[in-house]
Amino acid sequence: MDTLKRRHITHSFNNIDGPSYERIPLQDDEDLYTEKIKAQRNYRFHHKYISWTIKNRHIVIPVILTLLSFWTRFRDIARSGNVIWDEAHFGKFGSFYLKNEFYFDVHPPLGKMLVGLSGWLSGYDGSFGFESGKEYPESINYSGMRLFNAAWGALIIPMTFGTARQLGMSLIASTLAATMVLCDTAYLCISRFILLDSMLLFFTCSSLYCLSGLCKVRHSPFSKHWWFWLTMTGISLGCVSSVKWVGLFAVALVGFSTVEELWDLFGDIKLPKLVYFGHWIARIMGLIAIPISIYMASFVAHFKVLSKSGPGDDQMNSLFQARLEGNKLAESPLEIAYGSTVTIKNHALGGGLLHSHVQKYPEGSKQQQITCYHHKDSNNEWFFSKPYPQNQMIPSLDKEEEENERKNENEESDKEKVKQNQQQMNNSIDEPVEYIGDGQEFRLIHVATKRKLHSHTIPAPVTVEQFEVSGYGGENATDEKDNWRIEIVDDISDKHAPKDRVRSLSTRFRIRHSVLGCLLAAHNTQLPQWGFKQIEIVCDRDAKENNANTWWNIEEHRNEKLPSAPKDARRSRFLKDFMYINAAMWRLNNALIPDPDKDDRLTSTPTQWPLVSVGLRMCGWGDDNVKYFLMGNPMVWWSSFISLWVFIITAGVYNVQRRRQFCELSQSQWDKFISVGKTLFLGWFLHYIPFFIMGRVMYLHHYFPALYFSILMVPFLLDHFTTHSTPKRRKIVFTIAFTLVILTFIYFSPIAFGMTGPADSYRGRQWFKSWKLTDEVI
Amino acid sequence: MTSSDPKLRRRRVDPLETGSSSLTHIVEEKKKEVWRAGSSGSSPISHCTALAIVTVLGCITTFYKIWHPAEVVFDEVHFGKFAGFYLKRTYFFDVHPPLAKMMLAGAGYLLGYDGHFDFGNIGDNYIENNVPYIGLRMLPATMNVLCVMLIYSIMRQSGYAVLTCSLSAAMYLLDNSAVAQNRLIMLDSMLVFYMLSTVYCYIRFRKLRYQEFTPAWWFWLIATGVAMAMTVSVKLVGLFVVTTIGICVLVDLWELMDIKRGLTMKQFMRHFNARAFALIIIPIFVYLFWFYIHFIILDQSGPGDTFMSSSFQETLKNSAIKMKSLDIHYGDEILIHHPGTEVYLHSHDLKYPLRYDDGRISSQGQQVTGVKEADDNCYWRIKPTKEISKDKRVPVRHNDIIQLEHVSTETNLLTHDVASPLLATNEEVTTVEQDKQYNETLFKVVLDDHNNGNIWSTHMKLVKLMHVDTKVAIWTRDKTLPEWGLGQQDVNGNKNTQDRSNFWMATEIKGLNATEINMNKKKEIKKIPFIMKFFELQGRMLRHNSGLTKPHPYQSTPITWPFLIRGISYWSKNDTREQIYMTGNVFGWWLSIGGVAIYAGIMLADILARRRGIEPIDEPLRHRFISSAGLFLILWLTHYLPFFAMGRSLFLHHYLPAATCNYLLLGAVFQFMFIDGIDSPVSRLEGTSNTKYRKFHPLMMVASPSKYSYLAASLILLGQLGMFLFLSPLTYGTPGMTISQVLQHKILNTWDLQFD
Repeated sequence: MDTLKRRHITHSFNNIDGPSYERIPLQDDEDLYTEKIKAQRNYRFHHKYISWTIKNRHIVIPVILTLLSFWTRFRDIARSGNVIWDEAHFGKFGSFYLKNEFYFDVHPPLGKMLVGLSGWLSGYDGSFGFESGKEYPESINYSGMRLFNAAWGALIIPMTFGTARQLGMSLIASTLAATMVLCDTAYLCISRFILLDSMLLFFTCSSLYCLSGLCKVRHSPFSKHWWFWLTMTGISLGCVSSVKWVGLFAVALVGFSTVEELWDLFGDIKLPKLVYFGHWIARIMGLIAIPISIYMASFVAHFKVLSKSGPGDDQMNSLFQARLEGNKLAESPLEIAYGSTVTIKNHALGGGLLHSHVQKYPEGSKQQQITCYHHKDSNNEWFFSKPYPQNQMIPSLDKEEEENERKNENEESDKEKVKQNQQQMNNSIDEPVEYIGDGQEFRLIHVATKRKLHSHTIPAPVTVEQFEVSGYGGENATDEKDNWRIEIVDDISDKHAPKDRVRSLSTRFRIRHSVLGCLLAAHNTQLPQWGFKQIEIVCDRDAKENNANTWWNIEEHRNEKLPSAPKDARRSRFLKDFMYINAAMWRLNNALIPDPDKDDRLTSTPTQWPLVSVGLRMCGWGDDNVKYFLMGNPMVWWSSFISLWVFIITAGVYNVQRRRQFCELSQSQWDKFISVGKTLFLGWFLHYIPFFIMGRVMYLHHYFPALYFSILMVPFLLDHFTTHSTPKRRKIVFTIAFTLVILTFIYFSPIAFGMTGPADSYRGRQWFKSWKLTDEVI
Repeated sequence: MTSSDPKLRRRRVDPLETGSSSLTHIVEEKKKEVWRAGSSGSSPISHCTALAIVTVLGCITTFYKIWHPAEVVFDEVHFGKFAGFYLKRTYFFDVHPPLAKMMLAGAGYLLGYDGHFDFGNIGDNYIENNVPYIGLRMLPATMNVLCVMLIYSIMRQSGYAVLTCSLSAAMYLLDNSAVAQNRLIMLDSMLVFYMLSTVYCYIRFRKLRYQEFTPAWWFWLIATGVAMAMTVSVKLVGLFVVTTIGICVLVDLWELMDIKRGLTMKQFMRHFNARAFALIIIPIFVYLFWFYIHFIILDQSGPGDTFMSSSFQETLKNSAIKMKSLDIHYGDEILIHHPGTEVYLHSHDLKYPLRYDDGRISSQGQQVTGVKEADDNCYWRIKPTKEISKDKRVPVRHNDIIQLEHVSTETNLLTHDVASPLLATNEEVTTVEQDKQYNETLFKVVLDDHNNGNIWSTHMKLVKLMHVDTKVAIWTRDKTLPEWGLGQQDVNGNKNTQDRSNFWMATEIKGLNATEINMNKKKEIKKIPFIMKFFELQGRMLRHNSGLTKPHPYQSTPITWPFLIRGISYWSKNDTREQIYMTGNVFGWWLSIGGVAIYAGIMLADILARRRGIEPIDEPLRHRFISSAGLFLILWLTHYLPFFAMGRSLFLHHYLPAATCNYLLLGAVFQFMFIDGIDSPVSRLEGTSNTKYRKFHPLMMVASPSKYSYLAASLILLGQLGMFLFLSPLTYGTPGMTISQVLQHKILNTWDLQFD
């Protein structure tokens, strides 16, 4: 009630003063009042532009901030003409879009497509390799690409201002919020290069902006505004998760807020059930359906644009690869026969190729390792041979031949060698082609080492409850435990295909050990360093027939005796590919674990982030380089981290006070304090804490989305604690805050704008040793 | 946003509304009624009878053929051995706190066992080795019977009907895992016993909440604290029950803080302090007390020495290290050993090759390497860098700057800013002739444990040799040099000077026989303050525990436990085809996990309904269902969920405490589903010092079990009994089974029984 009354006063006051552009929240009242009186008083003395400015400051301030932000972000953006930091990755990925070549990366495609777009806009043709640290050739308009990225970063500042306003902060507090974001050296620095972070930050900020808009109109559901904000929230969420998966934390934040709102509505007994149902439907549409469609649409575009075969083929399922332009798979023979040389792909999402190499297991049988490997090389090739005890058809080179080859001294690739083997073998065995079908026995011989795929009752190296699979025997040794039996599951492209033949790419089958009855399986367990972190292969005793980990398909297939497959397009379906690529991204993401043997100075741990304990050198540190040092503005970072704790403690104290009923806050003040504070704190929490349980390698910039929420907490708390103080004291508090933030920014700005000359001349700015801004003097 | 608030208030207000001046009278009337209705099954007599019956049954299932097998079973290997160490008073190291092992040792002491047997392997015969194993097993077995009684009493004190109490206790005593695990010489039966005692004491305390600060109130509060500490003193997983009690106390305090409760802040602080004293201070002292006893008993050197720091080892009698240790003086020629990779610092008359395979260039200085066997080339003479008196032997102290001279080639150890042969980031270590490059040959002696005496000595003090000029530490790692280095181990200067593997140890002084010299010395035993010993041991226990990650064939993941996907093979004997396979009672475990689901479902439905203004459950029932069954649920959760976050190797038997709690919850859910009403109130109202509380009495109610509920209970028990008997050959390890029988007992095909 209190709020309402005073709001009316404000309105009437505004009416005297002219049209108001924005509803003015509580805290401003006294402050504004005196200011307005002053403004009126000054009206006579001052120039009319000044008075106009003061009157319209709700517009003027954000406009100035925006201009400043564009100026800081764009200023001297081409100072370093080298490939900086992860430009090496994202610039390259952008190039693939321009070349239409398929590549594979852990991040969803939207951000990289935008990078591609920036390249297209600045007339780049995708020809540059973006090697780390290399100088850009003159033909490339890299500053254009950087400007495109920086624009996203610049737009964060007005959005911060708007968000703060919508969260009910006063004008001065909102200005402080925007200034803190504007003056953060880390945000500035990361926005100025061809990276995904500026887009990620932009969409994270827009998610919070839209969420705050949605909260503001919560009391008029289904109104035009409400639908607008709901849709915008959905779109932001879709975009943020399509740039990087950390965007999912923003989804979680909105999810929490939505569940809470639905819970509140659920308690409203007067609300008709149908309307409540409507609330559900609207949110499912807006906050689930829209983001998912955007996410999927980004992949549709990704697949459409990248229509040619490229470096990312290996990571995808066999059928998908066959579809890409320029990929050889589609031309291979269709049906598998004894004597075929093949590569065999695990059918589970993100599965790899059956692989072996000369290294032995350090424990167990100590025979040759069998693993699952995701990249193509000649060690993935297997030869289908008749089962034991029939005579072997091992691909072997005649010694003479070998010598001849050496004499030729042609740098023949392994593949060609194998091809020769193949011919040799086929020539030597004049047997009719015998196709392999369901239930037939065979041996699989590793082409490069002549070992046979083998299993025995020895426990597997990691998953000790399963049997080990090894490469057994030399040229001649073989036994009945080398025999495997094929079991066809089905054919992807033709559900009713007869099971008498195994077709490459499309037939899914299990490989069962003839003696032990276990199934060849690749679970997602990694071998230790001795197995090069490849995936463990076991013979699964539990023999779960419906588990995709035990399903395989033929990928590459060569057999001279067989004709190439007819050009009937083996259709691949979008949804399957979509699931597959996401699983592969997930797997690769998890595989990005820090290497304990490597001392990597660039990585950091989550505990180091909030207190600015580390910075990150984004490029070479030579005296001639323009050096960029990714590190936050200490004032901004420290104050925002402290504010989180202040919020928690204050909320605790208020809670106890309310329990004892001597709390000074009115119910509405408490509601506002807790709802805004909770959203910001939860935002920070959700974007930060998950990193503690993540195994992957982490860098400083992973903290940036979380930082945004904590930055907003600072002006919010300042606002809250100065509500009842005099305008003068309020002014002093905010002036101090502004001064500290801006001065430290000016002091530290060279690290983001690019340092020239020797790093040692910036030694004074290295407040702590751990920053490593300069090299240690020995 | 603040929706939770009015709800809380409402719940508090409800009893108030019924309050009136004639209330006490009504209460008395009702109470009489309750006693009259006692025949319905809640009188003390029927409770006592039921308790007696389950106790006898518990004895039968637990002690049945306790002498079989007369061989070491599973972890008896460890805990039998540890008990023996107490009896021999030799120091040992284990990751678990000492209480339970001391109890076992105490039992052994009373039986006259002297700890001679080493419990070396599973399957070693007890009778041949003359071990009073039946007596030792009696202790945990007795504890298990006490657990049965405690379960009954917990349910009784929580106000459940005789039928429910008996059900919970009977489910437990017929649980195969409890029987299999808790009658062997292991710690789990003590753990569960103390855990249940804690819960029991807390419930007794909680029931006295209206008689605050009375002697009985204090007694049960302190008893809770002590029992809690005993649980932790058995195994550190006892912290789970501490968590549970912590949560309960916080909720309790939050309610006391409510202004409507009528407590002044001063009174509230009194409550707070009482709990802090009894549940924090007392437990800490109890916990420390057992370690104090532990150190007093174990005063002799033993197999645990090597786990401890050298200064700790000095406090033990007959410590080998004490006998071997000598102070090092300037001019001594010593061997320097790297404990991590077990090599001696070595140098020989061979140079580093000028150019390595990768094209980098060396200084071509003399090689410094690590070798496994000490030889003459491993002696280094310590030379002072300051004036020392020639007459006296001056000891080398912490932070002294020294030079090290390689005795056989008469060159000085040196390191400099040249990349080492294998690691380009680290510095090359080499030697130079006397008087050359003086500044680069200076090393600072940094002792690991310099607070306890700063003289460098052999065997006792780990030392780090810090290069004064370039701030690197002499370091070696498990990498061998190529042929030019004779395949010896790579030694280099490590820039990461904080690494633990930078420490070396001097092992011998040339020409001095340590044992002879020390024989003449008095065998003085050093003293370290208890608290220092404690912190050292505790730290090492925690570190060792988190290091137990070596895969074990029978380890499993927590998610599989409640469903009993896999058991553990404890023992087997080929001749008789007998085996013990630790697994829970499949019927009981599946039923209790179902109980959790039912509880969650009911609570969810209730919350949703109340949000819509409907109150489907009567207030007293609901109150009981939240506070009592809720406690059991939290118990189960705190004993189960933390395992998901643990990195060490985990086993099915880690789930046993949680499974026990789950039976409590099952009982509560059973009462809610099959018995109309509850016996209420359970808390005494008379004698309340603060009259205001009298208004807060819960509603009166009597539980009335129907025929239907007896039927349900007997069906459940029948199922449990049937499964127990069926699995009993695996639990008791007798009789032996044929292949077809074994296969028949494989209830899930993921069970890996022996002899299938």
